[in-house]
Amino acid sequence: MSQNDTISPLLSVKDLTVKFGEGPREVCAVDGISFDLHEKKTLAIVGESGSGKSISSLAMLGLLKFIGGRVSSGQLEFQSSVLGETVDLAQAPEQVLRKIRGNEISMIFQEPMTSLNPVFTIGSQMSETISLHQGLSKSEAQTRALEFLELVRLPNAKRLLTNYPHQLSGGMRQRVMIAMALCCEPKVLIADEPTTALDVTIQAQILHIIRDLQAELGTSVIFISHDMGVVSEMADDVLVMKASKFVETGTVHQVLGHPQQDYTKALLAAVPKIGSMTGTTAPKLFDIPGMAQATKPAQVKTTDTAREPVLEVENLTTRYDIRGGLMNRVTHRVHAAEKVSFEIYPGETLALVGESGSGKSTVGKTIQQLIEPASGAMRYRGKDIFSLPREDRKAFQKQTQYVFQDPYGSLNPRMTVGESLVEPAKVHGLISTKAEALDKAAELLEKVELPAEYANRYPHQFSGGQRQRLCIARALACDPSLIIADESVSALDVSVQAQVVNLLMGLQESQGLSYLFITHDMAVVERISHRVAVMYLGQIVEIGTRQQIFENPQHPYTKRLLAAVPKLMPGHRPTRVLLDGEIPSAMRAVDDPPRLVDLQQVSDGHFAAL
Amino acid sequence: MPILRFLIQRLLQAVLVTIAVTLFVAFAIRLTGDPAIMMTAQSSSVTEADLDRIREALGLNQSFIKQYFDFVRNILSGDLGESFFRGSVRDLIALALPSTLLLAVASMVVSIALSIPLGIYAAVHKGGAADQIIRVLSLVGLSFPNFWLGIMLVLMFSITFPILPASGFSSWQSILLPATTIGIILTATNVRLVRTQMLETLSSQYVMVARAKGLSEKTVIYKHALRNAAISIVTFLGLQFGNLIGGLVIIELVFNWPGMGTLSIEAIAQRDYPLLQATVSILAIMIVAVNLAVDLVYGLIDPRIRVA
Repeated sequence: MSQNDTISPLLSVKDLTVKFGEGPREVCAVDGISFDLHEKKTLAIVGESGSGKSISSLAMLGLLKFIGGRVSSGQLEFQSSVLGETVDLAQAPEQVLRKIRGNEISMIFQEPMTSLNPVFTIGSQMSETISLHQGLSKSEAQTRALEFLELVRLPNAKRLLTNYPHQLSGGMRQRVMIAMALCCEPKVLIADEPTTALDVTIQAQILHIIRDLQAELGTSVIFISHDMGVVSEMADDVLVMKASKFVETGTVHQVLGHPQQDYTKALLAAVPKIGSMTGTTAPKLFDIPGMAQATKPAQVKTTDTAREPVLEVENLTTRYDIRGGLMNRVTHRVHAAEKVSFEIYPGETLALVGESGSGKSTVGKTIQQLIEPASGAMRYRGKDIFSLPREDRKAFQKQTQYVFQDPYGSLNPRMTVGESLVEPAKVHGLISTKAEALDKAAELLEKVELPAEYANRYPHQFSGGQRQRLCIARALACDPSLIIADESVSALDVSVQAQVVNLLMGLQESQGLSYLFITHDMAVVERISHRVAVMYLGQIVEIGTRQQIFENPQHPYTKRLLAAVPKLMPGHRPTRVLLDGEIPSAMRAVDDPPRLVDLQQVSDGHFAAL
Repeated sequence: MPILRFLIQRLLQAVLVTIAVTLFVAFAIRLTGDPAIMMTAQSSSVTEADLDRIREALGLNQSFIKQYFDFVRNILSGDLGESFFRGSVRDLIALALPSTLLLAVASMVVSIALSIPLGIYAAVHKGGAADQIIRVLSLVGLSFPNFWLGIMLVLMFSITFPILPASGFSSWQSILLPATTIGIILTATNVRLVRTQMLETLSSQYVMVARAKGLSEKTVIYKHALRNAAISIVTFLGLQFGNLIGGLVIIELVFNWPGMGTLSIEAIAQRDYPLLQATVSILAIMIVAVNLAVDLVYGLIDPRIRVA
């Protein structure tokens, strides 16, 4: 596999099989996986949801029994220095495993918001591990904890020791988790999707820290991820898994550069590669092997700004009041959207990008009239919406439809898919009889490339990708002219994501739809959008055509956002100017309004705050 | 100063609750009968003039509003007034309140001592035989009336095996039966609560993280999981304590326990307005105070709502 074959591996997994349940309900979650982890190397385990990659990592810590699973066959041979011998982690008794867990093999989990115990201070949670494994006194353990908090570049590390988790942002908590995982200087660090829940600039920060510390401490890393870009940046070796089974393995150059298996090829094809569209203006479908429509180009090449816009948003401002004090007065405001202006033209996709807290969803929800704006105007085909009486506004609501991020939470589990799909059309009085409803449901399902007989099924019978198709079908029920897609593909596996993005582009072409595509994912934006608006702390800091934004970014935030996206270049270890702290908050005192940015024209249709 | 605002809010709330409760009680008891007639029911030669004289002596000839304000004014000056029949209300309450509190606390202790270990055990061994048995017993406990359990315990431990006193409050043994009765009844609910809360925290990610650190199961369960489960358990126990003080009435009657419950029942029977108004006011204030205490303790165990 690599040049390390002569040295015996630190961790050698042979034919690992993990099962859950008993008898007829037995499920095989990992089916015969083998790999070697060598000293100071990073092995990435890649796969989509349900591939068994996280389950394998829990097996290495002997933690499966706590979630009802078991290693049914195979060996996990680990060269333990604490015990001075090779231990089979699949067979070792609990006392032995406890000496290894957190000490020689430690783990960082995906969700930093729930990984730390909310009722204990950072200092006590860290020194607990240190005292346990190194037998240090309380004050010595605190000193060591401090040392490692500084190592993960946390500012004010001393104060953090007495802080509780809720006082820290997600990125900071993940750094605390890294410090905690590394504080006993383990030989193996398992990182299970450590950056998936984080913003892209914070992700870049965390990946750097892991890489630097790995070099500093000589740790071997098992990096579990679904994100090929991240894997390309982190891994020496790669193992691909699909549906509990092994697909292929090799060095990062072999697997990402010259994949042998069809699944790996398909997976890589589905990954949006930032920069791959340089020099083009129109959106482009994803090339999914075996799918014919991939060759069809998008109809709308460039935005025709001479036409009347579908929607004009002018100086839209939405704020959330924070109350406090004895009199419960408004003391602070979250300036979620400040003087946001843009137009969306017929048949075009405007991407609204930004990180959490940038106010991008607030803008979408204000347009859908789910939130009342503080000020500003919104014109639908020239008609001022906010000045209309309530009933007339409702008619406009029909013209815009919202597709949410979570396809699980947005379909009523007790209604058949058919009922859910035609509900909006019923509400707006477009259909009345049962026969019409049936026809409509069939027609909508057909539009999103699902069989018409699915109308009688319930949401739980569908996968995440299918549900998101259903949500899109429902949005189409009233023949809208604008669809607001709020992180609609973010929760989907990459191969499914590519299909749904292709579907959206196909629908745009056939129905002449406009999209407001709200997302944090720059790589998807590059594929789908005609124009891009970048939001930062409630304001648009740069807006222009996709080509202008991606090939000639002007605002420092746009540049940082683009630079932070991991690229699919095996072995490439980018050096970035890292955001040092956190993304600031849009919450401000009442008498301290934010400074408004001044957008200046860079070139035709390209504006940036400089 | 959010904590100050919180306390002021709660204090205002307590005053409003007390006013509402006493007003309602004072009004309602006056609808149920005339104490003057009740007092003289035994004698045959009572004239209307005698009744008027009694009413005047008790202050009952005045308007309801006047009577209520007199009562409030007296309370504010620390005077709980005189019972119609039994002397100073203050002395009566001074005797009854400690016994009620003692019984309430003892019952809670019994219930906590039973439900926390059982609930944790059931959660840790979810689906096992012990878990099933605990759940069935808890259902049985929820299904039968508390006075019936009291009577059964009396039959068993005072009649069949006469080892414990059946009623009254004469020695420390007297509290065992009533406290056990209420304790068991409360355990039926609490064990379920502890079990659910523990199951929830045990399945949380930070518990998995604690295990991944190499901590022993004991530390994981009793430190990491229990401490988090305790947040909702304490809230619930606090609210329960409030209900318990109100609900003690029946058990106090069954065991002839000289507490606030017995005192108020007697006051109702005799239409002893001042005594009833005073006991009910004190119970209401106590329930509000317990809720306030729970909110403060809540802040202590949950750093997320602790005031910086």
